[in-house]
Amino acid sequence: MNAAVLQSVEQALTQKIQVKNLNFYYGRFQALKSINLNIPERKVTAFIGPSGCGKSTLLRTFNRMYALYPNQEARGEILLDGENILGPSQDLNRLRAKVGMVFQKPTPFPMSIHDNIAFGVRLYESLSPREMEERVEWALRKAALWDEVKDKLKQSGTSLSGGQQQRLCIARGIAVKPEVLLLDEPASALDPISTGRIEELVHELKNDYTIVIVTHNMQQAARVSDYTAYMYLGEMVEFGVTDEVFIKPKKKETEDYITGRFG
Amino acid sequence: MGTEHLSKQYDNDLETLRSGVLQMGGLVESQIRGAIDAFAHGNQDLIDQVIANEARVNEYEVRIDDDCSHIIVKRQPAASDLRLIMAISKTVTDLERIGDEAEKIARMSRQIHERGHADLHRFATVRHAADIALSMLRQALDAFARLDAADAASIIRQDVAIDTEFRSILRQLITFMMEDPRTISTALEIVWIAKAIERIGDHAKNIAEDVIYIVKGTDVRHTAVEVVEREALS
Amino acid sequence: MDLYTRRLLINRFNLAVSLLTMLFGLFWLGWILFTLFKAGFGGLSAKLFLEMTPPPGSDGGLLNAIMGSLLMGAAGTALGTPVGIMAGIYLAEFGSRGWLAPVTRFISDILLSAPSIVVGLFIYEAYVVRVGHFSGWAGAFALALIVVPVVIRTTENMLRLVPDSLREAAAALGAPQWKVIVLVTVRAAKAGIITGILLAIARISGETAPLLFTSLNNQFWTSNMNAPMANLPVVIFQFAMSPYEDWHKLAWAGALLITLSVLALNVLARVFFRNRTATY
Repeated sequence: MNAAVLQSVEQALTQKIQVKNLNFYYGRFQALKSINLNIPERKVTAFIGPSGCGKSTLLRTFNRMYALYPNQEARGEILLDGENILGPSQDLNRLRAKVGMVFQKPTPFPMSIHDNIAFGVRLYESLSPREMEERVEWALRKAALWDEVKDKLKQSGTSLSGGQQQRLCIARGIAVKPEVLLLDEPASALDPISTGRIEELVHELKNDYTIVIVTHNMQQAARVSDYTAYMYLGEMVEFGVTDEVFIKPKKKETEDYITGRFG
Repeated sequence: MGTEHLSKQYDNDLETLRSGVLQMGGLVESQIRGAIDAFAHGNQDLIDQVIANEARVNEYEVRIDDDCSHIIVKRQPAASDLRLIMAISKTVTDLERIGDEAEKIARMSRQIHERGHADLHRFATVRHAADIALSMLRQALDAFARLDAADAASIIRQDVAIDTEFRSILRQLITFMMEDPRTISTALEIVWIAKAIERIGDHAKNIAEDVIYIVKGTDVRHTAVEVVEREALS
Repeated sequence: MDLYTRRLLINRFNLAVSLLTMLFGLFWLGWILFTLFKAGFGGLSAKLFLEMTPPPGSDGGLLNAIMGSLLMGAAGTALGTPVGIMAGIYLAEFGSRGWLAPVTRFISDILLSAPSIVVGLFIYEAYVVRVGHFSGWAGAFALALIVVPVVIRTTENMLRLVPDSLREAAAALGAPQWKVIVLVTVRAAKAGIITGILLAIARISGETAPLLFTSLNNQFWTSNMNAPMANLPVVIFQFAMSPYEDWHKLAWAGALLITLSVLALNVLARVFFRNRTATY
């Protein structure tokens, strides 16, 4: 696919999230430097880079998770569907209902599997018990977990295996029907088979959600994403179609990282 | 390819691979030279040697392809490393085919000289075409060693010259056959030899295209010469 | 000698010393328990739980004292626990910004290690004198003041053990902070918090000093919290200091009773906690 065709295709894609001149500080330390980036809708975008490059930090600005902690500050603009989410009038909880997140370590709540999934839904919707059961089943099916837990919905979420717990967290995240899903190294604590299942899941989910995934596993990024962004020391070095970035990257720094020439 | 990998072992493996290709190339070059000499002078020992060496050429192909698989499974190469491995695998196939063609030339030469009729001074054109093909191969291997895309692009132009030579050889042979029907068998064998040389040129061109792929990342197979040159020099 | 042998000997020596010191400590504990059992076991009978404290020379039990202890203990716990939990939640969840949290924590720690007689005297001055008489309520207040810092400390510690990732996961779904705390964090720390409450109860079951000036004592049965109330520790004190043999026996029995119930509470706390830990 040559460059001109690609560019027009990119423009035709709706940009779900637009990052403009984003700078991020942990106290006095600047973790993100003038980031400019567009996340296309209903595609999977991967952030890769060495430890400390800022990829998780950037991900966490999309749902303003950093606001839970003092001394963490974001300056610049992040437009979600055209509206700046860094503005002071942004309702954080509503934002987080729209932009869901799954973390590296599976975190089931100390309640039954059913309640785990219902938790998020109950926050903003009032469903009848029947409707709630349907929603729970829908979410578990989407997360490829239904068959394994359908007989034990009353059991505690913590009684599942690691891979199942992570799929539970994913089910919990999609049960509230967000528009964007942020995945922060979702498979790094899991064995290869569970990892494979999660990757399959991401592939199916992208039909309905915009997905941004942070991963330190480059092959995973190559397998799973449509677009890849390479970051280094808080800067966005290169952003492009995944196949291009991994076969013919534009920048030498990207090439060095991808081929393991980091010295 | 610039700086070294974090893994020294990886660098060593790639180096072994590269030098393997160059060694195979050297062997194939000497095969062609031997075959053409045998065509001109009919030296039986030379012919036997070329035919015997064919096995070594095949061994190289098998070994290098195997090494490529190992690197793929161990390192999951990406970007330039990936292009290098893919290109080496293809180049090695082309080199092996060139080796096959050289062996064919040697066999044909044996048959021609056994029959005895050959008045081969008339076929300086065959010699000339072979020289072009040989130089194309040498240049391609050189371009591979230095990863020089511009050099590789110039080889592709030369393939046209070989095609022209081939057609002129054909015309010569047809005239020859019409003049003296007793020479038809020999003439046909010379046609095969000329065809083999033309194929060697094609394979050398393929190797040059692979070099451009390694360096520029663009697949220039089946594109016009002008496009290739533009890509290579960009 | 070589390094290895030297280390081996040092290791053996230290192990032996630790074992000996442990036995030394256990010895005294064992002796106390043994004495307690020997002296008090004979006094344990159904009568203990059915009859009132008798005047010297007659037969009786400890019913009113047991009842008083139970009532005041329950009231003290009921008053102190909610305060302790709320404060513990504040310190753990909101305590990272500002000055109020460190100050509160400091004061709570002081109160935790304050002599309980001081607490008793305080309630005496602040309540008993005002109201004009001793009462069960005064006793309950004093006990509550002892419960509060214990519950604050354990609640805060248990909440702090809940990893931030759990809070983040709840917040990431769009839950407002109070819901995160109530529905997720506290639930995750539930076992630990309950254990803390059980330990607070165990603590106040044996407190004598705060009750001396607040609930005083009462020879007779009363369930009126507004009047002086009998309770086990003070009764034991009174009976033990007396010259009467049968009162002594009752005192030993009472002491044994308290010891056994504290033991039971501790065991309960441990069993409960072990079965419910690691929900995260």
